[in-house]
Amino acid sequence: MEFSFTKEQLMFKKEVIRFAKKEIVPRIQEFELKKQFDFESFKKLGDFGILGLHFPEEYGGGGADVITTVLAGEALGEAGVDGGLTLAYGAHTFLCADTIFSHGTEEQRKKYIPKLASGEWIGCMGLTEPNAGSDVASMTSTAEKKGDKYILNGSKIFITNGPIADVSVVYAKTDMEKKHAGISAFIVEKGTPGFSAGTPLIKMGVCTSQTSELYLSNCEIPAENLLGKEGDGFNMSLQTVEWDRSALLAPFVGAATFMLNRCVAYAKDREQFGRKIGQFQAIKRKIANIRIFGEAARNLVYRIAWCKDQKKPLNHLEAAVAKLFVGDWSMGPSNDAVVLHGGYGYCHEYDMERIFRDSRLAPIGGGTSDIQRMIISKLI
Amino acid sequence: MNYEISEKEFTLNIDLHQRLTLLAKEGDLEVADTKQVRANLEKTLAVLADTPYLKFGLEAVPGFNGLASLMVAVEVVADISPSICLSVETSTRVFGKILTQWGTPAIKEKMLPPLLAGKLIGALALSEESMNVENAPLTAGGAVNGDTAEISGKKQYVINAPVADWFAVAGVAEGKSAVFLVKAGTPGLTVGPRKNTPGFQGAAIADITLENCAIPADQILMIPDGQNMLQTLRMWENQVLIGASLGLMKTAFDGARNHAKTHRSGGKPVIAFQEVGFKLSDMLTLFQTSQLFAFRTAWTTENVPADAESLTLCAKVFCSESAEQVAGEAMRILGGAGYETGNPVERASRCVKFLQIAGTSTEIARVKIGDAALGLRN
Ligand SMILES: Cc1cc2nc3c(=O)[nH]c(=O)nc-3n(C[C@H](O)[C@H](O)[C@H](O)COP(=O)(O)OP(=O)(O)OC[C@H]3O[C@@H](n4cnc5c(N)ncnc54)[C@H](O)[C@@H]3O)c2cc1C
Ligand SMILES: Cc1cc2nc3c(=O)[nH]c(=O)nc-3n(C[C@H](O)[C@H](O)[C@H](O)COP(=O)(O)OP(=O)(O)OC[C@H]3O[C@@H](n4cnc5c(N)ncnc54)[C@H](O)[C@@H]3O)c2cc1C
Repeated sequence: MEFSFTKEQLMFKKEVIRFAKKEIVPRIQEFELKKQFDFESFKKLGDFGILGLHFPEEYGGGGADVITTVLAGEALGEAGVDGGLTLAYGAHTFLCADTIFSHGTEEQRKKYIPKLASGEWIGCMGLTEPNAGSDVASMTSTAEKKGDKYILNGSKIFITNGPIADVSVVYAKTDMEKKHAGISAFIVEKGTPGFSAGTPLIKMGVCTSQTSELYLSNCEIPAENLLGKEGDGFNMSLQTVEWDRSALLAPFVGAATFMLNRCVAYAKDREQFGRKIGQFQAIKRKIANIRIFGEAARNLVYRIAWCKDQKKPLNHLEAAVAKLFVGDWSMGPSNDAVVLHGGYGYCHEYDMERIFRDSRLAPIGGGTSDIQRMIISKLI
Repeated sequence: MNYEISEKEFTLNIDLHQRLTLLAKEGDLEVADTKQVRANLEKTLAVLADTPYLKFGLEAVPGFNGLASLMVAVEVVADISPSICLSVETSTRVFGKILTQWGTPAIKEKMLPPLLAGKLIGALALSEESMNVENAPLTAGGAVNGDTAEISGKKQYVINAPVADWFAVAGVAEGKSAVFLVKAGTPGLTVGPRKNTPGFQGAAIADITLENCAIPADQILMIPDGQNMLQTLRMWENQVLIGASLGLMKTAFDGARNHAKTHRSGGKPVIAFQEVGFKLSDMLTLFQTSQLFAFRTAWTTENVPADAESLTLCAKVFCSESAEQVAGEAMRILGGAGYETGNPVERASRCVKFLQIAGTSTEIARVKIGDAALGLRN
C-alpha cells in the first residue's frame, strides 16, 4: 500500500483552490441568498477545465485520471465552494455527460461532450420518480418505440439541473413486464415537444442548484437518442455509482477541511471569559472531531477513485461503505462547526450553517444511507 | 498511490493466521498465569521470528512496505490473540524502536539480534502517576557517576513487566530526556504484583519501582536535542493500540456476522432483519474506515514524518472508539451468547475498553489534535 499523490496532482489541486477562492467563492453568498443558480460560476468551471476534466482532449476534456478529478472536487469544497454548485457540477459531468460518453455512439459523444465539457450546455440526469426513489425498478415512465421514434411518457422528480438543463439523460421503461432489465436510457434535449421541467423545488440545502420535476408527455425523440441498447439503462445508472462515490463525495471531504480551517481561525480570534475560545478543551474537541472525520473520510473516497483508475470492477461493498460513512458520519462534525461559531454559526454570513444544510443531502441523494446498509448487509 | 494489499502481504497474513491458530489450539493464549504468559510469548515469538513480522518498522524487509505492511499483519495477530499482540508489539515495536532510534551502535549490536530472533522480551516503563496533556516532567531518573548510574522512580501499568528480560525506563538524566535500559533482576528493581484486568488477561502487566538501581552508564540512551521523547514514545504506543483496534474489530465483526448468518429467529437467519443487518453494515463501515485510516497513518509515519504525530492521534481516537462501538454492537447481535464468558466477541468487548485509556487517552488526544490544528503544538 502506498498513499502518495503525484506532484502534478497536488499542484493541480492547489491551482483549483486558488481559482475557486478568487473566481467563485466571492459570489456564493449572493446566489445562496437568492437561491439561484450562478450561471457565470458554472461557465467559469467549464473554462477552467473542471467540467470536462476526465474526458479525453479530443472531446474538449482534460484527459485527467480519476484521482486528479476527485482532487479537483475536493479542492472546490476546500476552497469553500457551496454544495449547490458542486452538486450541479456532479450531476452535469458525471451523471449526465459521463453516461453519454461511456455508453453513447461516436456521433453522440461528438455532439454532446465538447459542449458539456465547456459548460456551454448544461446536463442533468432523470432517474428518480415521485413513486420510485430507492426502488428504482418500480419506475413507471415509459418509452414506446414507434418507427424511428420513441414516445416518452411519465415524470421525474428531484432532478438536479432539471430547470436549466440543455441535455437530459432520462431513464424510462421500454418493457414494463421487466423490472431492472426493462429500463433504458435516452438523451432528451431541451425544447423537445412534450418535455418540460417544473419550477425549482425549495430545499433545505444545496440551494444554488436547481432541482425540479421533469414531465414527459408524449415526448417524441429520435430512436438514435437511445443510449446503448434497450434494457441497458439500469446497468448504466449503476456505473455512475463509481463517480457518485468518489467525485461527488469529494466536495464533502474538501468541505471538512474548509470547516476545519474556518473553525481554527474563529477559535483563535474569538474571546470569551478573557480568553481565546480556542483555549477551551470543548472547542479543541470540536476541532479534533472535524479533523478526524475529514481524515477518515478521504481514504474511502480515494480508494474508489484509485480502483477506477486501475480499471478494477467496482467493489459495491466499498462504494456503499464510502457513501454511508460520508453521509452519516458528517452530521456530527458539521454540527460542531456551527456550534463552535456560537450565534454567528447560525447566521448565513459565516458559511457554517450552509455547510451543515448542504451536508444533509449526503445521506439521501444518490441512494440513501439505509439503501447503502441494505447493499452492505446483502454483500457480507 | 496503491490501495491494494500486495501479494506478499496477503501471503504473510495467511501464513501468520495458520501458524498462530495452531499455537492458540495448543493452549489458551488469553488467560494464563505469569509463567504461562512467558511460555506463550516465547513460543509465539519463535514462530513470528520465522516470518518477516518481527522486522517490520525496525529494519527494511524487501518486498514489504514497513509499518504499512505491519498494520496489515498486526490485525491478524490481534484477531487471534489480543494479549499476544499487545505483548509482542510492546516488546518488538516499542522497545525495539527505542533501540533502533536511540541505541548506540554497541547497544544495537548487543540487543537487536536477540530481539529480532524473538529471544528477548522488552517492556516500556513510561507512565507515572498521571500523564497530562502537557506531560509533566518525568520524575524517574538518576545521576551518572563515572561508568555507572543510579536510578530511582515509580512506573505504572508496565506491559510485560512480570515477564520482561529488559526494561526501557523513560526518565531524566543530567536534566535531559533519557531512556535507561534495565535488565530484569537488577538489584533495586522491583516488579509489583501482576494487575488484574478485565481484558488482555494473557498479557502480564504490573507497576515497577526502581530504588537506587545501578546500571552501567552505557545503558543510558540520551535523547538528541530537538526530539520529544515522551511524544515519540506515546506515538509508538498509539500505533500498537491502533493495530490492536483493527484485530479486535475483526474478531467482533466476524463473530457477529457469522452468528447473524447462522442463528435463526422467526424462521430466518437474524441477518435478514434490518435491525441486525444494518447494524452489521455500520460495523463494517467503521471497520473498513479504520483499516484505511490505520494503513495510511502507518505509511505516513515513515514517509511524511511531519504529519505523523497528529495523524496518529486522529487514527488512534477513531480506531479505538470504533473498536469499542463495533464490539458493543457485536455483543448485542450475539444475544445471550455474547454475554457468555469465553466467547471471542465477549473477550474482544472487554479488551477494547483498554484502547481508549492507554497510550494517549482519547480525551488528551482530542485536546492535542485541537492544539495542533490551532498551531499551539506540532
Ligand atoms: C437535492 C436532491 C437532488 C437530487 N438529484 C437527483 C438527480 O439529479 N437525479 C435523480 O434521478 N435523482 C435525484 N435525487 C433523488 C434522490 O436520489 C432520491 O431522493 C433518493 O434516492 C431517495 O429516494 P426517495 O426520495 O424517493 O426516498 P424513498 O425511496 O421513498 O425513501 C424514503 C425513506 O425510506 C427509506 N427506505 C426506502 N427503502 C427502504 C428499505 N428497503 N429499507 C429500509 N429503508 C428504506 C429510505 O432510506 C428513506 O429514509 C435528488 C434528491 C435530492 C434531495
Ligand atoms: C492495562 C494497561 C496497560 C498499560 N500499559 C502501559 C505500558 O506498557 N507502559 C506505560 O508506560 N503505560 C502504560 N499504561 C498507562 C496508560 O498509558 C495510562 O493509564 C494513561 O496514560 C492514563 O493515565 P492515568 O491512568 O494516570 O489517568 P489520568 O491521566 O489521571 O487521567 C484520568 C482521566 O482524566 C482525563 N484527563 C487527564 N488530564 C486531562 C487534561 N489535561 N485534559 C483533559 N482530560 C484529561 C483522562 O483522559 C482520563 O479520562 C497502561 C495502562 C493500562 C490500564
